[in-house]
Amino acid sequence: MRSLIQRMFGGREATLLAACLLAVLVFAAASPSFATPDNVFTVLRNSTELLLVGLGTTVLLAMGGIDVSVGMVLGLAAIGVGRALQADWPPLVAGLVGPLVGTLLGLVTAAVVVVGRVPAIVGTLGLLGVYRAAIFLVLGGSWLSGLPSGLTDLLAARPLGIPVAMAVIAAAYLVIWLALRRMPFGLHLLSIGSAEERARLSGVAVTRTRMIAFVLNGALCGLAAAFYVATYRNVATTIGGTLALEAIAAVVLGGTSVTGGRCSLLGTVLGVLLLRIVQNGLLLVGVPSLLQPVVTGGLLLAVLGVEAVNGRLPAARLGWPLARVQP
Amino acid sequence: MTFAANLRGRSVTAPLLCALWIVVAAGLLVLKPSAFAASTITTVLQFSTLLALVALGQSLVVLCGGGGIDLSVGGAASLSVVLVMLGLKNGMPDWLLPPTCLAAGAALGWFNGLLVTRLGILPLIVTLGTFYVYSGLAVALTNGAAQSGVPAWLVPWGRGAIGAVPLPFVTMALPAFLIAGIILAFTSWGRWIYALGHNERAARLVGIDVDRVRRLAYTISGLCAGTAALVSLAWLGSGRPNIGQNLELTSLTAAMLGGIGIFGGRGGVGGVLAAVLLLVTLQTGLLQLNVNTIWQVGIVGALLISVLLADRFSAPQG
Repeated sequence: MRSLIQRMFGGREATLLAACLLAVLVFAAASPSFATPDNVFTVLRNSTELLLVGLGTTVLLAMGGIDVSVGMVLGLAAIGVGRALQADWPPLVAGLVGPLVGTLLGLVTAAVVVVGRVPAIVGTLGLLGVYRAAIFLVLGGSWLSGLPSGLTDLLAARPLGIPVAMAVIAAAYLVIWLALRRMPFGLHLLSIGSAEERARLSGVAVTRTRMIAFVLNGALCGLAAAFYVATYRNVATTIGGTLALEAIAAVVLGGTSVTGGRCSLLGTVLGVLLLRIVQNGLLLVGVPSLLQPVVTGGLLLAVLGVEAVNGRLPAARLGWPLARVQP
Repeated sequence: MTFAANLRGRSVTAPLLCALWIVVAAGLLVLKPSAFAASTITTVLQFSTLLALVALGQSLVVLCGGGGIDLSVGGAASLSVVLVMLGLKNGMPDWLLPPTCLAAGAALGWFNGLLVTRLGILPLIVTLGTFYVYSGLAVALTNGAAQSGVPAWLVPWGRGAIGAVPLPFVTMALPAFLIAGIILAFTSWGRWIYALGHNERAARLVGIDVDRVRRLAYTISGLCAGTAALVSLAWLGSGRPNIGQNLELTSLTAAMLGGIGIFGGRGGVGGVLAAVLLLVTLQTGLLQLNVNTIWQVGIVGALLISVLLADRFSAPQG
């Protein structure tokens, strides 16, 4: 029995893939407009920025970190990209303003959380407030709208048959995969995630590794901002409100541990797709969009609940108090 | 001696808060002298009641340690408001409103506690999830519209005042802090809270029912949010589904500013009440100066970070 449960949830990616297929089948049966080429394109297009933000969140969670200000970092970077487009900068340069702003904000986060040793959740919650005010200050209370389509065209171009957008996202995943699985950085990151003090004692440069992770996360949020601007061609004052929850939900769905030490990039991709498929499908079958945060939050808690019940089974057998005391 | 030190929190808390309060008050006096009136004091204390109650719950959760944090306080307050107002619309007798509001808050908090203690999920993830579920439900159930129909007998209490001091502050916020202070300082429950915040493993080994204490802390945090919801109903005369907006950030800032150690087991509730008064004075001052409310979010965030940075750089590293 236990081995069956473990097999089912151990292969998290397979479970997720099955869940995605199931969701597709259910929604295709429930709504005629779900399984159309247009809608498939919409789901994929809506996934782009979450794929990139989720990648950054995966790196942070693997290290036992967290950043709840990602939506606001994306917002500030999107303003930078939007302003650059308005100033008629070449689309490629305007797009690169995103990662640049993101990297700078990532340095700020790293300074507060890593150098200042403020716990990540509280530090980034504070930064969330500061950045939200900054977005309002920079935008002056009005939207950036009707932005030029140069960046949109650039990302939608297919020089080699595949859209540039897809190639950029694939490249970002490849770089992070190489860093995590083929370089010492990944080992250091995961060892900090499973036991920071032990990693430090084993000679891992904990401070440097953590700083790199936070800056990387900022850069990825900034890259996501370029995609956001290309997709929507406007920047609203309410930008990024629920992005942190969506990113954390998708990454945790994908099998990355919230306490660190374990991560899955393929899981993150599938988690993002499942989340977007469910959101899109529910919208098409007539669930009000106001309920979306409830669905996302509920999905997150449900997955963690199942995982926790599953994980507690062996511990319960050892006798509860002793099992819980072991570090 | 250690216990007394734990109760006091950071040694710099009291002077720091006083100095900051004087700076804020002096700034307001220079920029807008007309703001110094009895009505301003009433406004400050009225807003403080909501924040004080929520910050008290937040502080207890953080004191219990184990990464304790309650990001869902605002969502719980909003959802309590919406649930009782929908209850009234569907024929619930008026006199049930106050107890139902408190019970709804407590139930939402208990649910957080259950997820944290029974399933062992990280508190910040649990309460981040329930924050979106609670606040999303509050908005979705009402389509974001304020709900009218608060019973008329509740309003005189919500808007009444003794001199310049609003009734809800005297009858809810002060007693809540007094009771919490007494429990923390003089009862075994208080000692247990500090014990498990200080060293959870040791607390468990000496026989404290850690999970029960922690679950109770989350339930009380929910109860506090429910009480704040009730005060908002009586004061505003309508149920706003966004009443808890930004309360998670502000209440956490109040707790940190008030000397509660983020890792638990350190700090007392007196400092939290002082921090709440400081924060609300600052916010009211900004409102008087016609500064946009979004700035308050930024300033509160900046305060939260600076307090934690100051804490880190002033304390010897251990």
